Amino acid sequence: MRTARRLFQVFFLLFFFFLFFQARYPYETGLPSDLFLRASPLVAIATMISARAFIATMVVGLIVLLLTIPLGRVFCGWICPLGTTLDASDRFLIKERRKKPRQRDTLHFRSYKFVLLVFLLVSAVFSTQLVGYFDPIALFTRVTTLVFFPVLIFIIHAAFDIGFSPGVLEDQVYSLYNTAQESFLPLSQPAFYQVLITLLLFSGILALGFFQKRFWCRNLCPLGALLGIFSKYRIVKRYVSSDCTSCSICQRECKMNAIEDDYSINNTVECIECDTCQHVCKPDAISYTFGSNRGKNEIDLSRRKFVLASVAGLGGIGVLNAMARDRNRAGNAIRPPGALEEDEFLDRCIRCQECVKICNSTGGCLQPALTQKGLESLWTPISIPRLGYCEYNCNLCGQVCPTGAIENLDIEEKKNAKMGTAYFDKSRCIPWYSHNDCLVCEEHCPVSDKAIKFDIQEVKTFDGSVKKVKFPYVIEDTCIGCGICENKCPVVGKPGIFVTAATETAASESIY
Amino acid sequence: MNINRRNFIRTTVAGAAGIGTASLFAQNEIPDMVIVKNGSPAEMVRRAVENIGGIERFVKKGQKVLIKPNIGWDRVPEQAANTNPEAVAEMVKLCTNAGADWVRVLDRTCNQARRCYRRSGIEEAAKGAGAEVRHIVDSRFKDVDIPGGEMIQSWPFYKDALDADVLINMPIVKHHSISRVTLGFKNMMGILGGDRGAIHRNFMTKIVDINMAVKPTLTLIDAYRVLLRNGPSGGNLADVVTKKECIAATDRVAADAYAITLLDVDPNQMEYLKIAQDRGLGTMDLSKIKVKTINMT
Repeated sequence: MRTARRLFQVFFLLFFFFLFFQARYPYETGLPSDLFLRASPLVAIATMISARAFIATMVVGLIVLLLTIPLGRVFCGWICPLGTTLDASDRFLIKERRKKPRQRDTLHFRSYKFVLLVFLLVSAVFSTQLVGYFDPIALFTRVTTLVFFPVLIFIIHAAFDIGFSPGVLEDQVYSLYNTAQESFLPLSQPAFYQVLITLLLFSGILALGFFQKRFWCRNLCPLGALLGIFSKYRIVKRYVSSDCTSCSICQRECKMNAIEDDYSINNTVECIECDTCQHVCKPDAISYTFGSNRGKNEIDLSRRKFVLASVAGLGGIGVLNAMARDRNRAGNAIRPPGALEEDEFLDRCIRCQECVKICNSTGGCLQPALTQKGLESLWTPISIPRLGYCEYNCNLCGQVCPTGAIENLDIEEKKNAKMGTAYFDKSRCIPWYSHNDCLVCEEHCPVSDKAIKFDIQEVKTFDGSVKKVKFPYVIEDTCIGCGICENKCPVVGKPGIFVTAATETAASESIY
Repeated sequence: MNINRRNFIRTTVAGAAGIGTASLFAQNEIPDMVIVKNGSPAEMVRRAVENIGGIERFVKKGQKVLIKPNIGWDRVPEQAANTNPEAVAEMVKLCTNAGADWVRVLDRTCNQARRCYRRSGIEEAAKGAGAEVRHIVDSRFKDVDIPGGEMIQSWPFYKDALDADVLINMPIVKHHSISRVTLGFKNMMGILGGDRGAIHRNFMTKIVDINMAVKPTLTLIDAYRVLLRNGPSGGNLADVVTKKECIAATDRVAADAYAITLLDVDPNQMEYLKIAQDRGLGTMDLSKIKVKTINMT
């Protein structure tokens, strides 16, 4: 059983990465790259509560939740990619831990995950959706996008560069390169904002394994807490026969610290069905059968903590709303095309970075925000036109968004979806600033009729001669804010043309 | 033209005589430029190459061929922002049949490369015809010195273009907001590395500088569909006219000088042509070279 579980874990982890790499242009395989995210019941419930809407794409998560009632926390023990990663990293940390005398780990932190769950759900009720920061699938997708993916691609590109450099076997190297780029390899190095903060937080989660196995799952994971509550009534139960010698090895080896001091009793809320206890039991006294009810099923959340968590949820929302928003910076927070109106967007966005990943394979404008739109906008997608631009014929971000924060627009709708508006900085733009022709922005403007037009005017040069210069300007109503103008602007440093969020009105609405 | 019997006979006889004369001349008087009109994109390429001395004149067995179409934009062929895919495929076939060691097709695009290669139809068509359609790998540019360059003395060029024995430049005729038109000279920007935006300042001189570093063996201009306005990216079908022309030339200045007239622009207004002519890259004066026009209807 343990071997089977491990094989499933490896399979699901690889399947997760496989689906992750599906998120690239042209995205026509029909395999949903956001499947794991959709399978998170926590994301499903929290986003539906905060959005006050039924989100059809998230039904998978509700199914997983219903399956947990009879099956228990199979999702945690067998499927969750973060859980699998922690199992793997814990093996490296375990040696350190073993130096200490073996005894049962403390149960002290176990209630934190329930507190966190209550906090998140209370926030969701008050339409502040913070679940994406703590949901393990969103968290793992995020670290995969922002850290694993670019680092892996860097190594592969470096290897190809070495392969190309001697000039021999170039054709063979190229054909390998071509196969790679057709299946998963981006043509250029992905680079993102918030890489370091993402890596540090993730490393912290891994490092907690030094104190306890699966520290995150045992004590912090709000999805685990939710599934735990539902697994109270599972039908498969752990049965310990009279062969038990009370050696306590099952209790010490249990990943979740779910086995009580009476070894025949385990906590069904905490147990993740990993089968480790059965495997380590020397007299083979443990079996899993239907219905033999020797489980304890209390949820480690006192009324006092429940109230505290609820109050903290409310207080947190208050603090978030008490913070002043900088109008200048908000203008830089350009949302993806098809993003819902800002409040509704934040009700749904789980900061998973699916849109950022797939955007990287086309225009590459989407980046995780820091606090451009307030503290709760951390990791939400914004367009940074100086780094990339929105491809006119592309609607992929909406296709991979698991919660509909970015609408899945059809391509004709998307071409008219206004993300922002371009403005000339006449003190930087070449024709305005130095009376030389340029028009690179107009050249690239994808809308027809073009949203950048130009006027030919005669100007007097310093030596008194007259020359004709093409002066560009923006047609506000036609401009969709795709940002290709800002991206391609040849002015080094601050560009001669830049895009700000939506329209003046929309930008200010999102502030007040 | 009214088709009555007399006209029909007259045309047929004239046509036959024309073909006869052409084949008489073919041995010793190969034209410098061939203009083919009113055929399909592929047919016109075939006829153009045939009449400018045949593919054997340019591609010898075992040679390496780089075909450089315009694949700059994420646009479909009908929008006429990229070279016609059927024309590219036909050129690939000709080179492959001539026994080329390899035939590669590539471009450094403006929109995201994988989108452009796909939507332009060129990737599929050229691969189908036997070419290797390659993506630009950032590390494979090499600096090339341009001794005669006025403003640019050195620029990174793509290695495949430098490795090729034969470079076939296949632009499409388009309006261009900066350079007014985009043709053979401008199309060579697709094998350049570096910050190409910088070339747009003092474009007319710089584009000639760049073209001094590489000499296309053959310039083959696609004017099947021509983008008259809102170039180079276009997008609106109302800006596209079907001209059904194809120009093959060994003189790249002449090729651009003729093709420019399809956009109703006077070649004398194009400064880069004058600069190129002054530097001896070719002639703008079509009366100084042998031009052959073929009408396929």
